[in-house]
Formats: sequence, C-alpha cells, structure tokens
Amino acid sequence: MIIRRTCRQLLALSQRAPVSSRFQSTLPETPVTPVQAVQTSPKDEITRPENPLLEMVQAQAGANTSAQQEIAAEESHRKNFSKLGTTVRTFYDPENVIRNPPKPSQISLEMLLAAQTHLGHSTSRWNPQNSRYIFGIREGVHIISLDVTAAYLRRAAKVVEEVAARGGLILFAGTRKGQKRAVVKAAELAKGYHIFERWIPGSLTNGEQILGHCETKVVNALDEELPDFKADLADRPSLKPDLVICLNPLENVVLLHECGLNNVPTIGIIDTDADPTRVTYPIPANDDSLRATCLIAGILGRAGEAGQARRLKMAQEGRTTYQPIKAEVLHLDPFTGQPPGGEGQKK
Amino acid sequence: MAWHKSTSLAQAMRSLRLTPTLSKPKPSLSRTYATEAEAASVPAAAAPEINFEAFTQKPARIIPSSPSYFSGSPRFIDHVLQLESLQAKYASLPTVATSDAPRMAWFKLPQFRDYVGEPVPMKKYKSLLKILQRLNRIQPEIRPNEVQTTLSAFLRPGNPYAVETIPRTVDEHGRARGKGKRKESTAVVQLVEGEGEVLVNGKSLVEVFKRVHDRESALWALRCTQRLDKYNAWITVRGGGVTGQAEAITLALGRALLLHEPGLKPVLRKAGAITVDARRVERKKPGRVKARKMPTWVKR
Repeated sequence: MIIRRTCRQLLALSQRAPVSSRFQSTLPETPVTPVQAVQTSPKDEITRPENPLLEMVQAQAGANTSAQQEIAAEESHRKNFSKLGTTVRTFYDPENVIRNPPKPSQISLEMLLAAQTHLGHSTSRWNPQNSRYIFGIREGVHIISLDVTAAYLRRAAKVVEEVAARGGLILFAGTRKGQKRAVVKAAELAKGYHIFERWIPGSLTNGEQILGHCETKVVNALDEELPDFKADLADRPSLKPDLVICLNPLENVVLLHECGLNNVPTIGIIDTDADPTRVTYPIPANDDSLRATCLIAGILGRAGEAGQARRLKMAQEGRTTYQPIKAEVLHLDPFTGQPPGGEGQKK
Repeated sequence: MAWHKSTSLAQAMRSLRLTPTLSKPKPSLSRTYATEAEAASVPAAAAPEINFEAFTQKPARIIPSSPSYFSGSPRFIDHVLQLESLQAKYASLPTVATSDAPRMAWFKLPQFRDYVGEPVPMKKYKSLLKILQRLNRIQPEIRPNEVQTTLSAFLRPGNPYAVETIPRTVDEHGRARGKGKRKESTAVVQLVEGEGEVLVNGKSLVEVFKRVHDRESALWALRCTQRLDKYNAWITVRGGGVTGQAEAITLALGRALLLHEPGLKPVLRKAGAITVDARRVERKKPGRVKARKMPTWVKR
C-alpha cells in the first residue's frame, strides 16, 4: 500500500512538472483568433516574391498582345510546375541518336545490340558470302556477329575520317523512308553530301547531262570560297564523289554499279541477304532497322567531322594533305588541256 | 582533276611527305652597302609588299556549292530542308485555323521552276507548299521575323489579293453598261434614262427577234419592274442563236438596270433577270456519237 501511494505521488509530480514550466516561461501565451489569421494571410501572399501567380502577372506585363501574354503565362506556368512530380532518369530517346550521334571511339557491343544491328534475315534468304559475318541462327533468323560488326564499323569510320582529312567528297546515300534526317545530319557533320531520294541513274556515268546545271565553287585550303575563279567553272565536267556511303545497298544497285564503273570506293551496310562484294568496305549489320542505320550513319558522320577538323587545322598551319589544284590548271580547257581559244581547241 | 581519279588517295598520301608549300625567300647573294656609290643611275623600284594572304587566295579544290549536289536538284532540296528545319523549330508556336491565316499568293509551278531553275515535279512542289501553308498558319502576331522573310521569298511578284475590285457605276453621261452571256451569245447593253427606245445591233427589236417570246425575254428585266418606258437601251449582241441572244440580253439588261436602281435587286433576282445560266454545250467525246450518245450496238 505504501509503495502504491508513493508511486501515485510521483506520477502526480511528473504530471505537474510541464504546468510549472509553462508558468516559468518568459513569453506570454496569446491565443490566435481565427479572424486575425484570415486577415494576415493574403498580405503574406502578395509580398512573397516566389508566388507563381505574381510571376505570371509580371510576365504578362512585358507582353504586348493577348497572344504574347498567353504564351508568357504558359511559359511561367511551365517553369513553376516543372519541378513537381518525378524525374525519369534512364529512358530511351529515339531522337538522340540523330541529334547527338556517338563517336567511333564510343562504339560498344552493347550499343550495337541495343540498336538491333545483330538481326539478320530469315535463313532462307541468306547470301552464303555473308557466312563469315554470321554468329548463328535464332528462331529461323540469322544473327550477325556483333564483334565483327564493331570491327568493320571501326574500319569504315577510319576510312571516312581519312578521306575527309584529305579533302575528298563524301556522299551519304540513304533512300529508304525515315533515313532522311540521319543522312542529312551525317552529311552536315562530315561536311559531305547527301541523297535521301531516288538516285538518278547516270549521275556519275552521264554526269554532264544530269548534274551539269548544278553549281560548283572553287575553295581554298580553308574552305573559303574564291569567287574570282567562277568564270573558269563553266565548262568543267561534273564532280564525282570520292567515297560513297550507302545505307541500303539492296535498293541502290544502280548507284553501286556506277560507283564501280567510276572507281569510286563505297561503304555499305550489308545485311545477310545482300552481296558483300558490291561494296568496297562492307559493314555487316541490319539494314532494315532505322535505329541501326541511323546509328551507323551517325558514327560515320562523326568520323568525317573529326577528319574535316584535322584537315582544317593543318590548313591553318599552311599545310594540305592533298594536291591542291593550281590556278593555271583552272584556266586551262578541261578537255584539251590547252589554254582557251588556243590551237588545241581549233583542231 | 586529280582527286576524281582512282589514284587520288594515293596521291594524297604521297603529298603528306612532300615539302611544305610555304617556303622562305632566299636571301640575295650580292649585297650592297649604304655607303657605296650608286652604280645605276635609275634606282630600282622597291619590291612589292609581302602578300601574307597568298595561301588563302590559292585555289585548293573544286567542290559543289550545295550539300545536295548529287540529287540533281540541289536548290529545290535546299529549300525543302530549310523550310523543314523552320517548321521543326517553331512547331510549338500556336496556330490559327486555315481560314484565318493571311492569304498568300505562292508561286505557281512554272514560276517556281523559273525561281529555282530546276525541273521540279508537281508532286514535290505540292509537298513544299504544304510546309509553307503550315508555317503561314503560325499566329500572325507572334510570327518570328525569320519565318516571315522566308515565306515572303516564295510569294509571286505583286499581290493579287490586295487589288480591290472597283464597283461599277453610271458614267458621267448617265449610261450604265451591263454585260451578259448565255449559251454562245454575248450581249452588251448601254442603258440610259429615256422613252423606251430599244436598238439591237442598230435594228429594232421586232426586226431582230421574230418570236414574241424572244422579245419578251429580252426586255424581261424592264418589263417585270414596269420600267419599259423609262429607259432607252443600245444593245450589241454577238454569237449564238436567237434564244441565246435574247437571254444574253436579259442578263445584260438586268445588270445595267441594277446600276441605275440598286434597290431593284430582290425583284430582279426573283424574276430571274440577273441569274446567270452557266450551262454550255457539252463537248463531244471520242468513242461516242455526241457528248454522251453511244454508237449503236452491232453484233459483229
């Protein structure tokens, strides 16, 4: 009994303790009435600078027309609410391979696998010349060996880089639907040329007729145009590329044939049903997947970019990696090799 | 052009090992001193200034002007690519409905062919027009200058939509002129206020139109408004037959009367005096006897 009483007393003391502390505190407690709270809250909102509504109003003040105001309001709204929600870190952006293609040094088997470069054709459609590139058969489809693809792709990239460094004309050809943007981007990177519509048969073998009206220019080693030589370009034969990169060799038989006739080296994506001897430098890969062709075109474009940068850097130092054309040669008649109006032309 | 031959790469490789193109000028061996007496009576002209830009002025390569050189129509493709990049750049801007977009007179196909100087097929030009129309639909108040200048490059000279038609009126002599057509006939009517005299090709109405029905229909516009005795008409009719001429006059007279009294429009419309009958003789087709008639079927 005695123990119980003392326990109760102790408990009572402990309950009283916070009450005493309350009396001891220096700050007087003033209960906030709900009316006051309502009065103060709008003032706070107005003075706060990070209020989204206020920013919207300020943004609208700068705009003139109602349409501009709307757009400004939308933008500020987006800015304020973009931080909300989750952030997705790892995702596949299909545009990225076109916008920012990888460099040849970044080629990895994972990258090639993700781009589906390993998928060949049904086994019945194969070209036995491709047997050395084929890894195996899965579900009736040939699988291209990825390490072979990587090796051939690196070699092709090196070829593109060296041709670009020597001032060659590089033509990117991808005439399938959907390859347009990749082809244009690769040509832009490599300062090359592009074809995304039908190859006009005879552009190389009958270039006078087909490309005769297309403009050319004379540039110096730094790629600056020299307009003084414009008059000498009138009777020149049409230009021919020094390297052709074909993303779909099966559809561009004529292009590859003409390149063969004119001794123009070619790089081609060779699927398991294509003939690898049609091109000079085959890249065994899947040519039916846009992801694969865009990746390969991008890598080759980057290689060309590196080559062009190298060439321009050497030109800055006053060196050229190629035999520059001479002004006297430009003035000569391109067919007879004689000065214009000379004896050679009369005969 | 060495770089077009197969040996270009080999030559280029060789050129790596060549001596650098820039070489120092050799110092002259014979030297003169300032203290020496001048040997020649005429002093030699000073050497020209050193041209430090010789390297940049030397031609190095012949290259195509456009990256789409090998396509055969480089200018057209450059235009398309430029427009497509613009479209992608400003895809997020708000647009207006096609009917609210400003009316633009784009190049006609032959004009566009002249503009680019290449034989562009109709189908490809239509696809280009589609991009132009999409860019034109961007809200006019916030349309970027870049888009505006690009679009204006594709407009044909002169703005046909800026020309406003001048409304016809009665001239200073009180004449109203109206034209009308029906079948193969064309009529021109000069209408003045008067006593109801009518001359058709210098002859009276009775001489030209023997049938009463034709005379009625020729002056129908005046008759239905009860103004037969208030106007004089000087009429010229060409082509076609009697009915066609009479009804061409109806239309021309109705139109001329409208210039004098625009308030008569609902009456004339209801009476059918200013309604155009656009029917013409259908052409004959090959394989048919007339426009539609098939030749009679023969067994063999």
